[in-house]
Amino acid sequence: MSGGIARGRLAEERKAWRKNHPHGFVAKPETLPDGSVNLMVWQCIIPGKQGTDWEGGFYPLTLHFSEDYPSKPPKCKFPQGFFHPNVYPSGTVCLSILNEDSGWRPAITVKQILVGIQDLLDQPNPADPAQTDGYQLFIQDLVEYKRRVRQQAKQYPSLV
Amino acid sequence: MDSEDGVHDTNDLESVDDDFYSGGTGSGTEEGEGDYDFVENDSDESDDAVSHRHQNYLILSEADIRQHQEEDINRISQVLSIPKVDACILLRHYKWSVSKVHDAWFADEESVRKAVGLLEKPIEMPKARELTCGICFEDYSHNKMSSAACGHPFCDTCWRGYIGTSISDGPGCLMLRCPDPTCGAAVGQDMINALVSGEDKVKYSRYLLRSYIEDNRKTKWCPAPGCEFAVDFVMGSGNYDVSCKCSYSFCWNCTEEAHRPVDCGTVAKWILKNSAESENMNWILANSKPCPKCKRPIEKNQGCMHITCTPPCKFEFCWLCLGPWSDHGERTGGFYACNRYEAAKQEGVYDETERRREMAKNSLERYTHYYERWATNQSSRQKALSDLQNMQAVQLEKLSDKQSQPESQLKFITEAWLQIVECRRVLKWTYAYGFYLPENEYAKRTFFEYLQGEAESGLERLHQCAEKELQVFIDNEGPSKEFNDFRTKLAGLTSVTRNYFENLVQALETGLRDVGSCNQLPPSNKASSSSSLHVTNTSGGKARVRTVYRPGGPSHSSDDSSHWSCDRCTYVNVNSINVCQMCSYRR
Repeated sequence: MSGGIARGRLAEERKAWRKNHPHGFVAKPETLPDGSVNLMVWQCIIPGKQGTDWEGGFYPLTLHFSEDYPSKPPKCKFPQGFFHPNVYPSGTVCLSILNEDSGWRPAITVKQILVGIQDLLDQPNPADPAQTDGYQLFIQDLVEYKRRVRQQAKQYPSLV
Repeated sequence: MDSEDGVHDTNDLESVDDDFYSGGTGSGTEEGEGDYDFVENDSDESDDAVSHRHQNYLILSEADIRQHQEEDINRISQVLSIPKVDACILLRHYKWSVSKVHDAWFADEESVRKAVGLLEKPIEMPKARELTCGICFEDYSHNKMSSAACGHPFCDTCWRGYIGTSISDGPGCLMLRCPDPTCGAAVGQDMINALVSGEDKVKYSRYLLRSYIEDNRKTKWCPAPGCEFAVDFVMGSGNYDVSCKCSYSFCWNCTEEAHRPVDCGTVAKWILKNSAESENMNWILANSKPCPKCKRPIEKNQGCMHITCTPPCKFEFCWLCLGPWSDHGERTGGFYACNRYEAAKQEGVYDETERRREMAKNSLERYTHYYERWATNQSSRQKALSDLQNMQAVQLEKLSDKQSQPESQLKFITEAWLQIVECRRVLKWTYAYGFYLPENEYAKRTFFEYLQGEAESGLERLHQCAEKELQVFIDNEGPSKEFNDFRTKLAGLTSVTRNYFENLVQALETGLRDVGSCNQLPPSNKASSSSSLHVTNTSGGKARVRTVYRPGGPSHSSDDSSHWSCDRCTYVNVNSINVCQMCSYRR
């Protein structure tokens, strides 16, 4: 999808988000030091789901859109070293719908991405591990895994 | 070593020619002429655009492929009463197997539809005047929007981008689905053609064509570089050799070049060995010398000329002259020179390669022996191919002028060259065969080497005749009386050589079954039984000497003391006779 569709679509995404978005989520394009808005990078916050070990955490996620968006999915990154079986050591999220070779469709919205990642937090996919630490604990020592998850939730308290 | 003797023993060849001509000119010509027809047919066939029929395969041009594909699609479309676009998607999903589509569809149409993304009843886009595109989120009027059978509306620009991205990502575009994340509706060629640029349409149709060949189990592309023909193969027939219209021959089973009579397994082993070892081999030959005592290759990377082989051998020798170190030292120039070597070299007696070959006993040398011959025949075949092309393009016309013969009367030359090319190919692979033929299967080895020797000497004669003797007539100023004799000779040689190779191929394909563990029958009987023109034994025996690998020097008698093995040709003779039955060599 060439020339300009990415920005147009992102502007529309932004509009749609302001009109209506799921409770507790934050998603907004980054503001550059000169005060201008960069639509290609979004700073988001995903709340841990109620009733799970992730509850209470507000996890920062950055979406990097390319000029090929929405033909190609955005790159979604947690902070480096984020503890989760399907998050690479770099923080990049490994999720089927974010894979341009398989699950990505251009009609997937930012809202769907964020909700999809929230689901992933408590439902990791052991068939597709991206880091050793989180994966090993998840399959070998669930008690320790849950402890680490709750510990991490405390690291990311609400900013409000 | 025997194996290195007389690589081009022309004396032998000539004497053989004479023998041959006194014996079998008549039937040779006859057979030759019979085959000119074959050549003619061949060229006629390649002229027409329609398929090239052979017993068990079909060469398909692009037009043929499209036609077959179209026919399959039409069949499915009619039998299943579905649109052609859907039939195409369905066939691609089932790897273009019409029968699989039938089976799956009639077993459970609903689940097939779901898996492939074909909706039974298309859903219209919402009837509103303006619709929002699910990709760019802009609003457009109804007529600027399109949808797959599922009715999810997207604007034409976004469709173009979506399809275009998918096409540039590769053949996955053939499995394209609606851009809506929850929807599995398939996007067919009709939408592609309605929505994208001409260039993308061409690419898509190219992928569709390729898929028909590549995903289908009974078709393959010809592996020759730049060749655009495909082969449709009828499974179940024994012979895998396929000759493409581009003149490349390959094995349908393993897609290596044609290697009949050697089986695919042997070829794969041999090719792997070559790729793994040829570099090593070159390096070893260039940079090492075998220890004069234990023959292990030694690399000298530093130090003086006094080499001590690693245990258990521990032989001490001079690197330069390879003589024992006990004869060296201050007397021969110290540790960094060897005046024996220098002196010998000055006199010219020192041929290092010969010296090395003298010591050829290890497996490395054995492999090199077979590899060299394999590779030589390979390059010889390439040369023959280009000679053949040159012949057809330039020389035949010239010859036709010089000898005032119509070109149709010169077909025997093309025929001879085609035979040479084919024989070089077979001969080449027999060296891979020979490499893997167990050393201890003495009778089989002997018989194999006999047949190989016969075939090879026949081929050398033919090649020589087609190359050298023909040149004379091309260079001549005017018509020459001998030309008709030459025709008879070349055609005869072609036919004789063909017979030899048929014997060889047949014998190898049956796994040399004819010979048991103890070979009592003179192999000449076998050969002559199927070959009307038989070259006298003398030639065969001699020619064989240079093709056979004999690590232990002259061969010795077999275990059976009632027989002796000829030192020259290795043929096993009965003790009561003192002259070799095969090569007339005295015991």
